[in-house]
Amino acid sequence: MERKLLLSLIRNGGGLLEDVASRVNMSIDQARRAVEWLRSKEMIKIEEKVHHKIEILGEGKRAIEQGLPERRLIEILKRLNGEAKLDELSKAFGSTPQEFSAAFGYARSKGWISTSSIEGKVIVKLLKSDQSALEESLLKEISEKGLFFEELSEEDKKVVNGLIKRPNYLMKKPFKIVNISLTELGRKTAEAIKEVKEIDYLTPDLIISGKWKQHRLRSLDVEAVAPTIYPGKKHPVQHFIDEVREAFISLGFEEILGPIIQPAFWNFDALFVPQDHPARDMQDTFYVSKVKEPSIASSRLIEKVSRTHTNGWNTGSKGWGYDWVLDEAKRLVLRTHTTAVTVKYLADHKVSEAKVFSVDKVFRNEKLDPKHLAELHQIEGIMVGKRVTLRDLMGILSEFYKILGLKKVKFWPTYFPYTEPSLQSIVHVEGFGWMELCGMGIFRPEVTLPLGVKNPVLAWGGGLERIIMARLRIDDIRELYENNLGWLRKVPLCL
Amino acid sequence: MPVITLYYNKLKSLIKGELSTKDLIDKIPYLGVTLEEATDDYVKIEYNPNRPDFSTIYGIARSLNGILGFERGAPNYVINEGEVEMIVDESTQHVRPFVVSLVAKEITLNDELIQEIISMQEDLHEGIGRRRRKMSIGIHNFDVLKPPIKYTTVSPEFKFIPLGEKEEMSMREILEKTDVGREYGHIVSHFDKYPLIMDSLDQVLSFPPIINGELTRLTPETKNLLIEITATDLKADEDSLAIIAAALSDIGAKIESVKIRLGNSVKITPDMSLQQMEVDRKLANDLLGLRLNDEEILESLERSRISVASKDGKLTALIPRYRVDILHQVDLVEEIAYGYGFEKLTPTLPEFKKAGKYHDNLKLIGLARDAMIGLGCIEVMNYHLISEKALYEFTKRKPKTIIKVENPKSIEYEFLRDNIFPSLLIVLSKNLHEEYPQRIFEISKVYSKDLRTPNGIREDYHLSVATSHSTANYTEVKSILSSLLLQTFNLSVNTIPTHHPSFTSGRAATIVLAKNNLGIIGEIHPLVLESFKLRNPVSVFEVNLSKIIDIVKQKAS
Repeated sequence: MERKLLLSLIRNGGGLLEDVASRVNMSIDQARRAVEWLRSKEMIKIEEKVHHKIEILGEGKRAIEQGLPERRLIEILKRLNGEAKLDELSKAFGSTPQEFSAAFGYARSKGWISTSSIEGKVIVKLLKSDQSALEESLLKEISEKGLFFEELSEEDKKVVNGLIKRPNYLMKKPFKIVNISLTELGRKTAEAIKEVKEIDYLTPDLIISGKWKQHRLRSLDVEAVAPTIYPGKKHPVQHFIDEVREAFISLGFEEILGPIIQPAFWNFDALFVPQDHPARDMQDTFYVSKVKEPSIASSRLIEKVSRTHTNGWNTGSKGWGYDWVLDEAKRLVLRTHTTAVTVKYLADHKVSEAKVFSVDKVFRNEKLDPKHLAELHQIEGIMVGKRVTLRDLMGILSEFYKILGLKKVKFWPTYFPYTEPSLQSIVHVEGFGWMELCGMGIFRPEVTLPLGVKNPVLAWGGGLERIIMARLRIDDIRELYENNLGWLRKVPLCL
Repeated sequence: MPVITLYYNKLKSLIKGELSTKDLIDKIPYLGVTLEEATDDYVKIEYNPNRPDFSTIYGIARSLNGILGFERGAPNYVINEGEVEMIVDESTQHVRPFVVSLVAKEITLNDELIQEIISMQEDLHEGIGRRRRKMSIGIHNFDVLKPPIKYTTVSPEFKFIPLGEKEEMSMREILEKTDVGREYGHIVSHFDKYPLIMDSLDQVLSFPPIINGELTRLTPETKNLLIEITATDLKADEDSLAIIAAALSDIGAKIESVKIRLGNSVKITPDMSLQQMEVDRKLANDLLGLRLNDEEILESLERSRISVASKDGKLTALIPRYRVDILHQVDLVEEIAYGYGFEKLTPTLPEFKKAGKYHDNLKLIGLARDAMIGLGCIEVMNYHLISEKALYEFTKRKPKTIIKVENPKSIEYEFLRDNIFPSLLIVLSKNLHEEYPQRIFEISKVYSKDLRTPNGIREDYHLSVATSHSTANYTEVKSILSSLLLQTFNLSVNTIPTHHPSFTSGRAATIVLAKNNLGIIGEIHPLVLESFKLRNPVSVFEVNLSKIIDIVKQKAS
């Protein structure tokens, strides 16, 4: 506001408060406030004066409309061919004798007419008809603008005073006016601002040259909504996978990887799952058409596993009591659990101590529906050590869940073909209730001894999708892999 | 997994102590079963296949009585020596070799009990019986029979009146015309002669594993039963009989043994004697993380309905015959835990001093993923299994080798992907109404034939990108490709012009690094766009990340 005012003053000069205010499109009050502020900063000085406004009264208005009386007189005289007897002229003029007399007097004092006497009668002659009178232009000016007496030139003042003498023409009305003008400081400041132009954008050139100082950046509507943009983004399932991997790393586990396509040997047989177990059914497991006879393991290991199934071999077990078939073990499956990879790891490394994990894809031959997928992600962790116990397993799981924000856990006994004892963990999920998550247990000796692992192996695993569904509040498991861009773009990663 | 419904009234009548319904429901998970449903009258529980003795309410009650402390040690089953003999013909030996049998006398049946017995039979058929293939059970009204019983094989034309029919049917007809015949016939249909059980008057008891004769149908008036179980596996045979013997005994019947004669050998079934296995105390305490003394171990086993004999410092577990799941001492360790009470086990944290470690390859893949996100692409995750149409037909490609599953439930998910980009095109086709530009990527395994691998199938990680909008073009994806490889792996590649049926002619290239073919890049051919019903142009690249990782690792070494 103040800036606008200063600029106006320096561009258009000082003036009355009202005029300056309207110049800059402010209300009187706004202008008054701005002026006060500027005065406090000593950039403006205020002069309060009493000036007189010239007001036009009735006769004055008439004179403007119809012309000055002396003008009217000489117009008539012109029509009378520039010469007329006095009483003739008076008659033509009309109006009152006083008015005629006044008009006559004004015209004569201006030198517009002359009089002579012929046979005792006064004859009036027109001398000048085209001379403009100062009164006329002034009146016009006064009627168009409001003029203050004090603003007039000396000459004009004389004319106005003359007009004021005429009855009911003009009046001087006293006005207090506030005249604002710039002080030296104000002038200097205004000069500086005047140099500054408003621009929309800062450019490299302006910055480098320093010319930015001469400009002002236009204010923006900072509250306006900006266009939506979509960032690149990790898939929410991958996000959770990475969170789980991180949990394992923080517990000191090493990540392992392995093939998805496994011979039944590693997916089932090495895990002591009998060859007629329902899980090996075509109904539940995907079998992959072979491209060649796979090489599955050393013949020594195959022998050990075979005997373990049949009669327990050296494991101290009774075994399953059936004849184990190699061809069945050579069939290729899409792994139904990552345990296949874990158990091969044990076979390859024969470790006495280890902590490994994986989070990866597994496959079940299911028909897709709101609760079932054919392709899932599974987590798996094992810990091998001389003195590891079932209670340690419970402890690791509790800690693992805690890292994922699941603080309430229960453990119940259950059964898996390749662990004994086995437990099922149930966790409390916010906004969902109790949910079965990971199964766990200690690998049976029928599994570990043929592989050459003598220490107990704690193992646990479970599917990821259910907990992701609970977190993202999804009811239909298939939604996780619909890849609907609207959903992917909007689903929050921070929950 | 098998399910059994337990009515509170009946269950409580079998529990030898006070038990409120609430306590009952709370205790159930500690049997190792899952609570499926709980109403005011009953609970439905799902039990694991290792405990076929849970196929009746009696089996559940036995275990419950144990962990509640109302009964201790192995239950005692008395088998009286019976008179009945079963003669086994040699011809059965290559068809369905094993048979066991028992007679249950003085049984008071009603509809509810008959239902329980049938339910047990069905669950055992599914579980141990592996859908009757491994073993199948025949339950007969004993009083209409005249022993000795014969187990033999006969011609498929042999006729009798099967259960539920009025007229005689030949065995062949039974296999062709009845539901059970059609469902289970495959178990015997390939033999020349079919198994049959008759009595001395040639009255038919059953045509195992298909159907009984109408003659021996059970009614609530039946007082005495004969059970016969034929099998291809001796353990399955004997286990099932033991479970049935225990259940019928608990119902109140008096069990009599049957003599099975095959040639010169005689076997007396059932054998309900306790099985013996040494208790490894150290193993128990080590695995459970406890310090139980002999007294405590003994008590725990007894609460699991297992008796213990102590002699010369050795503990021997005496295990009831209906327990078919105790194969190794670790199974006893679990029984100790059941008896001790799993709810009493508290978690401990083991000591371990090594740091965790990400897999190198996955770390590099993670970097590539981060780069793609930084380049403004959204990650999608698709299935590895895809339809032939989408993988080959729509992309106008002809496969060199197909990798597929033998038994898909839908042809939508039959082929294993050899490339990712067809899945990306499917994703784009499902998102026609979402805002453009659409830039998506996926990192995943793909499958190809490679005889150098142990399985003959190679699994490589691929990364594929698809961009789609009204001015999607080659340059855009090449920028992404170059940026990705340079920023993440410090690699520069060449893109050599090539022909590829999925891409517009003159706008496709092979991605090459030092003579390695790393992948493909280009603008998708309009024919392919039409197949996928896409409306905007699409540009794609796909690289073999596994190869790139190998190159990077080689450079580093």
